[in-house]
Amino acid sequence: MKAKGEVILWSLLDKCCEKCKHSKINPCPDYIECRVKGPLCHDDQKCKELRKKRIEELKYGVHGSKIRIPLSSCTLATGAEEIYNKFKEYILEKRLDTEITISGCFGLDYLDPWFEVIMKGYPAAIYVKVKGKDIPRILDEYFEKKDVSNAFALRYRTGKAKGEEKVPLLDEIDVWKKQRKWVSRNCGFINPESLEEYILSGGYSGLSRSLKMKPEEVIETILKSGLRGRGGAGFPTGLKWKITRTQPGNPKYVIANADEGDPGAFMNRLLAESDPFRIIEGLTIAGYSIGASHGYIFVRAEKPLMASRLKKAVEEARKYGLLGENILGSGFSFDIDVILSAGAFVCGEETAMLSAIEGKRAWPRQRPPYPAQQGLWGQPTAINNVETLAHVATIMSYGLEEFVKLGTEKTKGTKMFCVTGSVSRPGVYEVPVGVSIRYLVEELAGGAPEGSSIKAVQIGGPSGGCIPKDKFDLPIDYETLQSAGAIMGSGGIVVINDNNCMVDVAKFFLTFTSAESCGKCFPCRIGLRKLLDILDKITSGNGSEEDIIVLRQLANSVRNSSLCALGGTAPNPVLSTLRYFGDEYEAHIRDGVCPANVCKAFITYTIDQEVCIACGQCAMNCPVGAISKTSSGKYSVDYDRCIRCGTCFIICPVNAVQKVGKKEMVRGEVCG
Amino acid sequence: MLFRKSVRKRWLGVKYVVKLKLNDKEIEAEKGKTLLEIALENGFDIPHLCMLKNLYYGTSCRLCLVMTSRGKLIPSCYYRVSGDEEFIVDSPELREIRRVNFELILSYHKIECWLCNRKGNCKLMDISRKLGVEGLPVCSQCPLAPDECLLTKGILCLGMITLSGCDAECITSGGQCWGCRGPVTREDILERAFRRYKELGFDLNDVLFRAEIFWNSLKEFERIREVVEKVKGDDK
Ligand SMILES: Cc1cc2nc3c(=O)[nH]c(=O)nc-3n(C[C@H](O)[C@H](O)[C@H](O)COP(=O)(O)O)c2cc1C
Ligand code: SF4
Ligand code: SF4
Ligand code: FES
Repeated sequence: MKAKGEVILWSLLDKCCEKCKHSKINPCPDYIECRVKGPLCHDDQKCKELRKKRIEELKYGVHGSKIRIPLSSCTLATGAEEIYNKFKEYILEKRLDTEITISGCFGLDYLDPWFEVIMKGYPAAIYVKVKGKDIPRILDEYFEKKDVSNAFALRYRTGKAKGEEKVPLLDEIDVWKKQRKWVSRNCGFINPESLEEYILSGGYSGLSRSLKMKPEEVIETILKSGLRGRGGAGFPTGLKWKITRTQPGNPKYVIANADEGDPGAFMNRLLAESDPFRIIEGLTIAGYSIGASHGYIFVRAEKPLMASRLKKAVEEARKYGLLGENILGSGFSFDIDVILSAGAFVCGEETAMLSAIEGKRAWPRQRPPYPAQQGLWGQPTAINNVETLAHVATIMSYGLEEFVKLGTEKTKGTKMFCVTGSVSRPGVYEVPVGVSIRYLVEELAGGAPEGSSIKAVQIGGPSGGCIPKDKFDLPIDYETLQSAGAIMGSGGIVVINDNNCMVDVAKFFLTFTSAESCGKCFPCRIGLRKLLDILDKITSGNGSEEDIIVLRQLANSVRNSSLCALGGTAPNPVLSTLRYFGDEYEAHIRDGVCPANVCKAFITYTIDQEVCIACGQCAMNCPVGAISKTSSGKYSVDYDRCIRCGTCFIICPVNAVQKVGKKEMVRGEVCG
Repeated sequence: MLFRKSVRKRWLGVKYVVKLKLNDKEIEAEKGKTLLEIALENGFDIPHLCMLKNLYYGTSCRLCLVMTSRGKLIPSCYYRVSGDEEFIVDSPELREIRRVNFELILSYHKIECWLCNRKGNCKLMDISRKLGVEGLPVCSQCPLAPDECLLTKGILCLGMITLSGCDAECITSGGQCWGCRGPVTREDILERAFRRYKELGFDLNDVLFRAEIFWNSLKEFERIREVVEKVKGDDK
């Protein structure tokens, strides 16, 4: 963002002087390196100075100070827009020449909204959980008193500001230190709409290097790195490319799958909103390797910011010749279209996605032939998840040596995981593949919030499975999770606490998948419906022992015989809860209780006469008028009329309303 | 060489042949044919419902699933053979899966065989018999349905609420159905059937009375009574 009246600045991407031969028509192969280290082809102190100055400007703002405010879906949801406006007000009011730039999200969502203030010579300070009204105070402290003692963390120290020693460096903070930032290294710390900043941070050096290699060598490098698809199935990316490259048929296509649809997963969104150029670089490298001249990015329409950032990035890259004809003088031409998905979960399935791009209804089709053999318009097509592509760009930039050091024997590198649900620090964490579930959930995400305890995690979204607490030491990798009944999926982890009923959890995920089933094949369309009916029957108190047998048999059959992986994985929540929490199913059926007191058919609300202060709020708000005054002046619930909506439970100011199992209730009444 | 090898061979009438092993039977087949075609030609009876030759190969019904040597299930109607391979095309396990899938399909079918014009020329019925899935009413096998149905002539026949499987024995030999095979279990069929009885002017009590002859000791009979009560109460 440029302040009013400012002249358009010379940018790193422009020519330094007339000696620079680079132009869009005749691109220089060393363009990328030259921008950061340059000039390479001529030795001119003035040009060097010019670049150095611009790099400083990018780092510390044009006039030596700058504020970075993350504008991404997660921070916007917590009020970043308001803070952005406050900054503007403040700067206008004080007549400062501080620059305000946007950035992406750094993944620690529990700290939102946050921002970073930078001033040359002083430490870059990060303030978190800020409120609009605190802004003037914080900025006064930083800019006038040079006091950073209220910051959450510093990016580096200079020893010049007050209170610096009291504030930890970001790299010293536990949740940061324990992660391994590889693909998400830039997230939160560069402007996602500025190609210049991306290149300065080391971006596009991967493409530049790749274009100087033969396509086969690039594929060989990716094969050697052992990179596996991060979109779910974990297919080796290098192998997929090799197959696609060697297929007869021209043209070929590459597609980035950014149709992240699982509830509770947002790492792809975070990546695309915070560092979109990395994805575009990865896709361009993929295109070069398999010999494609056109690529698509398939973005979920429900994530509009993600789509617009990607679109902007494509335009920007096109503007500077990083997409288009003869990229970096290599003779390789490539362009990208950003396509909005048709808005269903199944669109993420690769063959459905192909249909959608072709303009047809998003129906999966039987594989083989795989998209690598016959994909878009019948041509060989390589489809990769956006995180996979970001990995490609990073590996090509930083070399595979560092990458292969991370991860496990079978799966190298890192993976971004999204931890949500009942944890005290929800967010996106990047860790090496193979760390334990406990590490992610407890050390990084901070375990359960006070007053609850974790019972299980659901890994892999609606197609994944529940893994109970006593299995938390399992390493997270494709094979282990599969044998434990879950899947890696795209990396969403939903933490479930002991206030959740596992049958209800299975029902929740099944409701999602049965609604999202495309309806093409019967096992999925009808089978999931029937599974849901049976779960409904169990949670409404009409279950029988036979239902569990049918549930298991039907779930296995749906899993084995469905056409695509939606139906093939949708029964996982049922099967895994049956496997690890069979006792809860039995409690519903045999004993007529819901152990977590969730399922409405098994609970009732009562009012503790001792605690009740007779305020009458519950009676006023009960939608069916089931609460009335008793002779003692207090209130009580008429169990026959109560519909168990829980309104009174929430509304009571002194928590006199209690949720109890129906069984206990009856027993209590008999005794008393 | 003027043409690609495959084109030349086709011109010369040479067919590529692949060796397949279906269950234990070793056969030779023409490359590019679907597995379903080949299996049917070789006497394996694989149920299939949704495949329409040259029109639809969408693999929706999942009845024709066969197992590859690696234990994966694939729809045979879609799979074109391209090399020497082995498949299991019939096994208890496969039958079980096909049966479950078929039951799912059937469960969403609005069954009203007594009004259906196909007169027993029905693929659903054929497959249900082959897979041993019960649940269709006798009318599905009745030669009279729908135009000459005994009910339209005022003769009380229990076909609508009785399980099929007897090839509508009594009706073919000139009588009416007495319900000896027991009632259909699906409540929606029962409900529609009783509505039909009512529509044609039968007293539902008479129908129940007739049904009691064979079914009075059945546990389900209570449920049938309930359905009747419900249908009776419709008008109110
Ligand atoms: C129902 C369903 C939804 C999917 N959704 C996504 C998705 O949102 N993003 C994604 O990258 N892959 C998704 N996939 C997986 C893709 O089909 C495909 O495997 C993946 O894009 C391959 O990329 P990779 O090799 O980089 O993992 C989904 C699969 C299924 C069956
Ligand atoms: S499994 Fe479900 S989503 Fe996939 S093709 Fe079948 S009906 Fe559609
Ligand atoms: S005669 Fe009986 S079996 Fe045949 S269609 Fe009519 S009711 Fe059904
Ligand atoms: S005939 Fe329906 S899937 Fe093959």
